[in-house]
Amino acid sequence: MSPIRFFFRLIFVGQETALMADRNHGRSMTRCNRNVLTCCLTRIALFCSGAIFGLSTLQSAEIERKSGIRILPANIDLRGENAWQTICVQNLSQDGRLLSEIGEGVELQIEDTKVARLEGRRVIALSSGKTSLKASFRTSQGTTLTESIPISVTEGDRAVEIEFRNHVQAVLARNGCNTGACHGAQAGKGGFRLSLRGYDPTSDHFNITRQDRARRIELSEPSRSLLIAKPSGAIEHKGGIKLPVDSHDYRLLVEWIASGANDTQAADPKLKEVEVLPGQVQLSIGDTQRLIVRAHYDNGRIEDVTHWAKFSSSDESVASVDEFGQIKVLGPGEGAISVWFASRIALARVIVPYSLDTKTELFDTFPVANIIDEKVIAQLRSLGLPPSDRTTDSEFLRRAYLTTIATLPTAQETVEFLEDQDINKRERLVDHLLERPEFVDYWSYRWSDLLMLNSSIIQPEAVKSYYFWIRGHVAKNSPWDEIVREILTARGESLENGATNFYAINQDPEGMTENACQAFLGLSIGCAKCHNHPLEKWTNDQYYAMANMFARVRAKGWGGDVRNGAPERSLIVLDRGDLIQPLTGKPQLPAPLDAPTLDPNDPTDRRIALADWLTSPNNPYFTRAVVNRVWAAFFGIGIVNSVDDLRASNPASNPALMDALCESLQEHHFDLKSLMRLILNSETFQRSSRTTDANRDDRKFFSHYYPKRLMAEVLHDAVVQVAGPPSEFNRTELLGSDFRKTAFYSAGTRAIQLYDSTVANQFLKTFGRNQRRITCECERSDEPSVVQVLHINNGETLNPKLAQDGSNVDRWMQRFMSDWRGLIRHAYLSSLSREPTAVEIDGLESEIVNVTDDERRLVIEDLLWSLMSSREFLFVH
Amino acid sequence: MLDIVSRAKAHTCNGATRRDFLQIGSLGAIGFGLPQYLAAKEQGVIDPAKDRRSAIMIFNLGAPSQLDTFDMKPDAPAEIRGPFKPIPTNASGISVSEILPMHAKIADKFSLVRSCFHRGAAVHDSGWQIMQTGRQFTGGVNTPHAGSVVSYLRGRRTDLPPHVVLPETMGRGGGNLPNGQAGGFLGKAHDPFSLMADPSQKDFKVPDLLPPQSIGQARLERRMRMRDLVDSTVKHFEASESAKLMDENFHSAYRLMTSSAARDAFDLTKEPEAVRERYGMNRFGQCCLLARRLVEAGVRFVTVNTFLTVFDEITWDIHGSKPFTSIEGMKNIVAPMYDKGYSALIEDLAQRGMLDDTMVCNIAEFGRTPKVNPAGGRDHWPQCFTVGFAGGGVKGGRIVGASDPIGAVPADRPTEPPEVVATILHSLGLNLESHLPGPAGRPFPLIDFGFREITELF
Repeated sequence: MSPIRFFFRLIFVGQETALMADRNHGRSMTRCNRNVLTCCLTRIALFCSGAIFGLSTLQSAEIERKSGIRILPANIDLRGENAWQTICVQNLSQDGRLLSEIGEGVELQIEDTKVARLEGRRVIALSSGKTSLKASFRTSQGTTLTESIPISVTEGDRAVEIEFRNHVQAVLARNGCNTGACHGAQAGKGGFRLSLRGYDPTSDHFNITRQDRARRIELSEPSRSLLIAKPSGAIEHKGGIKLPVDSHDYRLLVEWIASGANDTQAADPKLKEVEVLPGQVQLSIGDTQRLIVRAHYDNGRIEDVTHWAKFSSSDESVASVDEFGQIKVLGPGEGAISVWFASRIALARVIVPYSLDTKTELFDTFPVANIIDEKVIAQLRSLGLPPSDRTTDSEFLRRAYLTTIATLPTAQETVEFLEDQDINKRERLVDHLLERPEFVDYWSYRWSDLLMLNSSIIQPEAVKSYYFWIRGHVAKNSPWDEIVREILTARGESLENGATNFYAINQDPEGMTENACQAFLGLSIGCAKCHNHPLEKWTNDQYYAMANMFARVRAKGWGGDVRNGAPERSLIVLDRGDLIQPLTGKPQLPAPLDAPTLDPNDPTDRRIALADWLTSPNNPYFTRAVVNRVWAAFFGIGIVNSVDDLRASNPASNPALMDALCESLQEHHFDLKSLMRLILNSETFQRSSRTTDANRDDRKFFSHYYPKRLMAEVLHDAVVQVAGPPSEFNRTELLGSDFRKTAFYSAGTRAIQLYDSTVANQFLKTFGRNQRRITCECERSDEPSVVQVLHINNGETLNPKLAQDGSNVDRWMQRFMSDWRGLIRHAYLSSLSREPTAVEIDGLESEIVNVTDDERRLVIEDLLWSLMSSREFLFVH
Repeated sequence: MLDIVSRAKAHTCNGATRRDFLQIGSLGAIGFGLPQYLAAKEQGVIDPAKDRRSAIMIFNLGAPSQLDTFDMKPDAPAEIRGPFKPIPTNASGISVSEILPMHAKIADKFSLVRSCFHRGAAVHDSGWQIMQTGRQFTGGVNTPHAGSVVSYLRGRRTDLPPHVVLPETMGRGGGNLPNGQAGGFLGKAHDPFSLMADPSQKDFKVPDLLPPQSIGQARLERRMRMRDLVDSTVKHFEASESAKLMDENFHSAYRLMTSSAARDAFDLTKEPEAVRERYGMNRFGQCCLLARRLVEAGVRFVTVNTFLTVFDEITWDIHGSKPFTSIEGMKNIVAPMYDKGYSALIEDLAQRGMLDDTMVCNIAEFGRTPKVNPAGGRDHWPQCFTVGFAGGGVKGGRIVGASDPIGAVPADRPTEPPEVVATILHSLGLNLESHLPGPAGRPFPLIDFGFREITELF
């Protein structure tokens, strides 16, 4: 075994199950990967930043003029003897933005060294009083930049009191003691159980100090306590050495036991907020930056808890972070580091400009149509990322049709639009599209995806009833909050009130809770069913409190297998009954996630209170979720990606844009068409998909339009529109691959008019429609594959449709007689919404002319095939 | 060099035009240009002497119980050892479960690592990604399947895709996480080719592989000409990965369609009935047979999914209660099917002299709980399980590592997923110290630093 290998074994394997800590959520694997990566990166960091991103970025970072320095935090407030605060010194730009951390060459000085002293970058309290910290830095140009911040020390003569909830629990969490694979497991480990990540301090304190005849604590000789002797290695611990004898955390536990191993006191402050510094910083590739995490308590105390926090990066291509909170910048863009402390999440945003050469004045020249452009341009400016030009009329027409009504413009519509000289024609087109009947088809289909209309879950008649309920609302353009409210509070007969089928698809309170959160809030709270959510603030109790909101929902009639029984089902709500929280064996008082508790004896339908809370403008998730879903439908990618993952640790790529759109939608009372109109009329939406040298690598800041393959159903309908013959939809496919006939769909039905995701169709299957088995847009696949190309080439869709008698091949040959150029032009306008170029028309005409009359029909088929298999056709761009 | 010449030859022999070859030419069709390949060879990233090597990864979805298959504990208490007895094999010191009698006859050809474990969550999805890519996905970085790494570094050997999944890529695992059966950050171009059909069905054919009768060679060429003309106006699409990929897919598909060797490889009717029956007339058995045919025809990496999901299917996932599988379900259905298919594959490869150049590994997302649960089944257990290797340079009849007396934790030579992936890549002649282009062009090690192949196997 090589020495290095042995070293890793020591670290990773030797500790056996302890390092498997967090196994249930794979966090130690994260750490493991990260160590490995760090090693690898030290070897290649220079190569990476120099060779791949070019030296210009590094040089220009130095050139950018800095106007000062800034100490973080802005003031230091220490309470108790030896309390400390870590600091960072940052460069400051001329307009006051935080730039890179200054590692070397800063001189730090505390004015009154009786009050506090310095140890590296740590200010440590000595005695009560006020003083200041001064930092000075001599730049390469010879000027000296300085800044001072005030330091205040209170209770300087008293040792910091150790609090069970705020300190001991933090130690147990940071060292992995209460993770899923260790003592945080449902059954504990080695007879000792802690609540997962410390969600239940009361029982944790009991288990530590009282359980098993208090054998874990030795008040008279703390270091002999099992709680300390085992993790420090004094006696055998299956989890390995977690608390080395000289560590800070070891001493903390010893002191806590020595001082009586007290439980949380009534006077102990509660955590109010977790703050991370710098909250936002502009860095360059290759930079490192330390993060500082501070806990703010409700009695005003501020504590440096950096050493107890856990860190993870939301975008490893921009920056990575190690377990001590040290960021390393790897690539351009904007990323976030999420910080976990005591079940709270805080974010630090890292901005890494693509180029610092781009003059900021340049960004003043880009047109701004509305609030979207304001926010997008502002971000592009900070990233040095110039946007692409405005798209052509023909591209805009096609893009607007496909994303708003999922339909190709006809040749005639295309010509009319292109010839229209009105400067407001794009705006007029938008208004027109929002009122087209296909709009109702398409958006009913999209919301049916979200609500899982699927006849392998509920009976076909019920699917139909649910579909027409959705369709009715889309046709009326009902406000989104009203639609959701109707679903949440639905009752009655499944075939009369389609909305009740939400409760047929989800038949238990847990399923109703999880799917309502997923669909309407973009939150996955499933984790909290068994324990506190590891990535979010939701606790196990909150989960059951929320699920209890649905506890009184009951149904009569159908409820079993989709193959059997009559479809009728009536939904009723009882006036009593509660859901049991399995942990306590008692009902959990009903409350919508983080809202106040309801009176459990109130017979009113609890779902009304739930709908009030969920659809309230104050609910931070509800508006964001729908804004993000609509945005993603138009741009191919959400502002938060993915659209089903709105947790705090997965931030928006442009938070200001998200906030502005939410505000606008609420001002318009959840009128989704107002949001669509805003999007369609923005310059951001109307930007070309042609990239420039400067913005080629951008994938999420909307500097250009991102080409995206048409979704399966839309592509299918486009093929039908160009080829002519519609598809037959007469069978549905059940799980287990047996088929059932359906007579719902008349001849000529388009794919986006289907109610049900199980309608059998090879094309839709191959191109990855949303199967509607779970509430997740991720079920839809828009990625091209070889299998799809084989289907285009050889499959039972394009070829038979083109070959069929009476297809557009026949119709156009009759209409254009031997005017091949006219036919080619018409085919281009019909499929690609543009005129052919001279090269194209000449080349294609020669193919047609050069064959015998018998072969002519085939060559026209091949022409249409070529158009429909081109990427220009397959993509919205 | 040999590789490139033979590719050109194979192609023109099969009737495709020279123009086609020039146009598609190098490995560019799957995102790996010829110069890149040569450079890689030169830098020692790949060992040219091992270019003939292939791998078949059998992924046992659901996760077999180590205690009832390859790591029996006959001396443990009844609630640990379970209902089955060990039987001796033709390799000294190796015993396997009585439910795998055909394995006992070929134990001299395979070796077992009884001390594998991983640190991921005990849910199927995370085990899938960890075992197939060697890493748990974090920070939005999805690491590539071992076969996709081979696809990237080696490219295709013939007209067939470099990496094929049989019968199709994995389905639901319950965690809704990516399953690791994809190209990850190497891009969709290195996703495996998914067969999407059941080779044990009577009318089995690869969906859409061949053009309809009405489209002959002349029309095919005309279509390609016309399509090229139309498509050339959107060159600016190249900035979009997905558009670029669509173009590459067209080229790959065209090669596949026009190659008769490729077509034959998928044609199981070319096998004698006795051979087909030896493998077992079920989906898994016929997938094993098809895997052998594909390797013969030049596919570098075949992944066989023993099952497609753990729900409502009889699988290795023996929780003992519905919708999962009971211990009897494993004994009566899963094990006989597996025993037959696996032993047939190993024997067949050995008889054809292919075993030395074909690594067959059988892995799963985790093991199962040492204690039988109240439903008479066993639950998920990533802390310790057994993985198997045969061929491709691996010596048979060996046991590497050991579990503790109840099969709960590794007692000797704990082995991690990166070592399993490293063993496969090493067998295929890849230099484990080389790097892949990670997200945003960042170099990404083939195998995490500090890990290497399981040397005891070779």
